[in-house]
Parts: sequence; structure tokens; C-alpha cells
Amino acid sequence: MARARSRIAGVISVFGELLITAGLVLALFVVYSLWWTNVLADRESAKQGERVRDRWAGGPGALDTKDGIGFLHVPAMGNGEVLVKQGTDPKTLNNGVAGYYIDPIKSALPSDKQGNFTLAAHRDGHGAKFHNIHKLKTGDSIVFETVDTWYVYKVFKDLKETSKYNVDVLQPVPKESGRTKPGRYITLTTCTPVYTSDYRYIVWGELERTEKVDRDRTPPAELRQS
Amino acid sequence: MYGWIWRHLPGNAWVRAFISLVLVLAVVYVLFQYVFPWAEPLLPFNDVTVDGQ
Repeated sequence: MARARSRIAGVISVFGELLITAGLVLALFVVYSLWWTNVLADRESAKQGERVRDRWAGGPGALDTKDGIGFLHVPAMGNGEVLVKQGTDPKTLNNGVAGYYIDPIKSALPSDKQGNFTLAAHRDGHGAKFHNIHKLKTGDSIVFETVDTWYVYKVFKDLKETSKYNVDVLQPVPKESGRTKPGRYITLTTCTPVYTSDYRYIVWGELERTEKVDRDRTPPAELRQS
Repeated sequence: MYGWIWRHLPGNAWVRAFISLVLVLAVVYVLFQYVFPWAEPLLPFNDVTVDGQ
């Protein structure tokens, strides 16, 4: 009798310990996703960004889409510069960069006469480069820096919550943005609400002007005031 | 379970505590290095793109 009881107690105690262990593993997973992936991604994107700047320093070369095409500066997000590379597959984005879409709708490049420059980046973890996307208001600037040009965009509309199937936000003339004529647009996409990815958050901007990059890489006024 | 591990570790209490610490760190390392990176894409927390799928 006493033996059977101690046996049951043993089983229950092992079960309890397994539950505690599971809880700890889940807590560690949160630490991993919200902290450790940022550490890794920031390290990697800094390294890749440096490589791009190094190549730029060697004078204007051919556009190499492999190492990144430029840097995104969004003063309202307050996170410095974000390297932009081709493609939006997780492997690219997990390195703490923003990617421009090649699928399902191919992005235009800022240098194109017309079209929509469409970008995606993580909201949380892996650098969380678009974490503060909700701080962007109409009229805020989005600056894209390439080897020879600063492209200054102004935000004109956002979509705080949309379905992840809503690919029309990436159209050359983005649907639901209120614009009907072709122009030079920029689209930022990320997931929302924070810490999940039930929906997508969209911000649209339109090119206001471009500036040639000078010898000292003097940033445009929009970046100097912040 | 943990009691069983503790009883089967060699040495006195200090040595056992040290080995336990090493074991815990090893488990955390394996989780961060292999298990979590594998599990993360399977979980719906980090999809940021719009697509048709």
C-alpha cells in the first residue's frame, strides 16, 4: 500500500517537473525571439552594411543586388539606417535587413521613372527593423540612400491592419492608397499587431525629390534635424 | 527526475552543483543554437510579407 502510494507520488512529481521544464523552455523561447535574434541580426546587418559602404567608397560601381542596394532612413522610427537587399524570403530578412519584393509582385527600384518600391522587414526579432512603423504619420519622411542619390519620400497614407493575402497593396499604383495615377511610390510592409503576425501593416509614401550624393555624403535636411 | 539526476552525479554537493550548471548551460546552448531556429519558422509569429499563400 505504502509502496503503491510512493510510486504514484513519484509519477506525479516527474510529471510536475516536466511541466516546469516546459514552462522554462517557453520562457527561453521568448528570450530567444525577442532578444537573441536581434543580437545576431544586428551584428550580421552591420557587417553587411559595412561591406556595401566599403564598395561605395571605391567609387560608383555597378548596381550589385546581392550585397544590398542601399540604406533606408526613417527618422520617425528612430532606428538609424536599414540595409535594403533583394528578396523577402525569411533567410534574407532574418539578417536584420529590409528586403524589396520580387514575389508576388515585383518591386520597382527607386531609380525607375515610375512604379512602387515595396519593402518588408521584421516587426519583432531578427533586428526588428520596422518595429516602430506605427509611429510614422502622414508627412513624415522616408529617405532611401543609394550609392549616388538620396530619394526623399513623404508618407501619405497607412493601412493599420490588412490581410496577409492583400497583395494589391504592392501594385505599381497601390490599391487602397487613394492614388489612381502612376507615380514613384514606396511601400513598407510588416506584421501587426506587435509580437504576432495575424495581419499586415502598410505605409505608403510618394517621392518628393531626389538629391545627388556629394563627396561628404551630406545627408538631406530631413535626416539632419533628427 | 531532477532528483534522480542529482543523485547520480558524482562528487560532493559543490561538484554536483557545478556539473548541474554546466548541464543547464549545455541545454540552453542546444536550444538557442538548434532547436529554436528550427521551431521558429513553424510558428506563426514572424511573417511580415503579404503574399498569396
